[in-house]
Amino acid sequence: MGAQFDISFVFSFLPKLLGTLSTTLLIVACSLLTGIIVGFLVALPRLYKVPVLKTLSEIYISFFRGTPILIQLFLFYYGLPEIMKLVHVDMTRTPVLVFVILTYGLHTGAYMSEMIRASVMAVDKGQVEAAYAAGMTGFQAFTRIVLPQALGIAVPVFSNLVIALLKDTSLAFTLGVMEMSGKAQTLGSLTQHFIETYIALALIYLVISFTIEKLLLVAEHHLLRHEKQNTPEKNLFKINKSWSYRRIIAELGTGKGGTGL
Amino acid sequence: MKLDPSFIWTALVQILSAIPTTLYITCVSVLIGFVIGVAVALIRLYRVPLLYPLAVGYVTFIRGTPMLTHLLLIYFGLPVLIDGLAAHFGWSFRSVSIPMIGFAYISFSITAGAYMSEVVRSGLLAVDRGQLEAAHSIGMTTPQSLKRIVFPQALAASLPNLSNSVIGMLHGSTLAFTVSVVDINAKAQIVASTNWKFFEAYLAAALIFWALTFLIERVTSVIERRINLYNRGGVA
Repeated sequence: MGAQFDISFVFSFLPKLLGTLSTTLLIVACSLLTGIIVGFLVALPRLYKVPVLKTLSEIYISFFRGTPILIQLFLFYYGLPEIMKLVHVDMTRTPVLVFVILTYGLHTGAYMSEMIRASVMAVDKGQVEAAYAAGMTGFQAFTRIVLPQALGIAVPVFSNLVIALLKDTSLAFTLGVMEMSGKAQTLGSLTQHFIETYIALALIYLVISFTIEKLLLVAEHHLLRHEKQNTPEKNLFKINKSWSYRRIIAELGTGKGGTGL
Repeated sequence: MKLDPSFIWTALVQILSAIPTTLYITCVSVLIGFVIGVAVALIRLYRVPLLYPLAVGYVTFIRGTPMLTHLLLIYFGLPVLIDGLAAHFGWSFRSVSIPMIGFAYISFSITAGAYMSEVVRSGLLAVDRGQLEAAHSIGMTTPQSLKRIVFPQALAASLPNLSNSVIGMLHGSTLAFTVSVVDINAKAQIVASTNWKFFEAYLAAALIFWALTFLIERVTSVIERRINLYNRGGVA
């Protein structure tokens, strides 16, 4: 199988793979944007218990969380043109990247809406009542009291979702998009040095997810600075405040199941 | 190409035959992953020297890279490793005798192990340290108190995460098609390309996955209610 293992290939493949990094990051950024917008739109009917819309958004979330992203990719790629044909819109010339971003956007949107809902609900209801008592309007109470706290709670989940999305983009090659994984496969079959290609690929993914995680950890510390305790104590089994928030979120089941593929 | 709703049913019936493969991959990876996860979590909690940095490195690497990469690394890397060792030590075993699905089992178990270790670790951390101390104070040994006091509570705390992980692995098993294992996704591809009806076939596959996920969620919620009985007040 293939040629002799040669570590120098890992280094020569790195710059070649980095050339397609922009495609991967483009997919991540666009889908993230779509996901946040969709997530807000879907979370609102559930938070305010709007009758029919609430059921619709529940079905939407259930479907996108209940089926693999790979199936969703194929479903959109083959299904959307057919459905658009019924309303006489021709999608045969639409670039594949649009389907990919749309699928990832809607997929992430389902998780985003759960994240938004859970973090808003994790803020103590008494806080809102106190804000009302102090004479704030509903909008003021939300933007000044609930949102700042909810943001801090949401960051760990958000960080997980971004990393999961980054790793999910490795499936875009199935539709023929030349992002990093697709490039790696091409490089592998051209040179027959598969192991070296995939090691290089793994290294790049590792560095990016590590960077994202560290960046968002800084953001989390900044947003949760009001939770900081005065006496820091080191204890193996200590459960601090931000940890208990993480647990709340875990119990609400917002986390992206196990693997980001 | 026109939409053919009746074909969804035809595809559904054909794809049903591939469900066991998907379930095998999911079950094997979750079970082996859980064992790896418990070991890694304990190593990390007790900071076992030498093993600790290895465990941290393993979890970081696996969680930082896509599952597809793990699968392909194992698929291309393992045969080289095994054949190299076999040639060196003169074994008769060759990598060709590993079935395709074996690669999926090995790679997905390794993936699941890293995610499971996080689930187990957060479950163990959720148990109050005082419980362990109380168990020690009445004369239990550490393995006894872990087994009798900590694990049952940790399991209850981590059940939602556990169910998420199982669903994640179920969805992750769709990647097995890259190493030519015929699971639900691959079967849908076959059905689709032989009949040239892609949308209908994938819709059928999506419905099956949706149903399986729903089933896992229901079962977990039943177990959760059962396992959390001790928490339902009454005494305190």
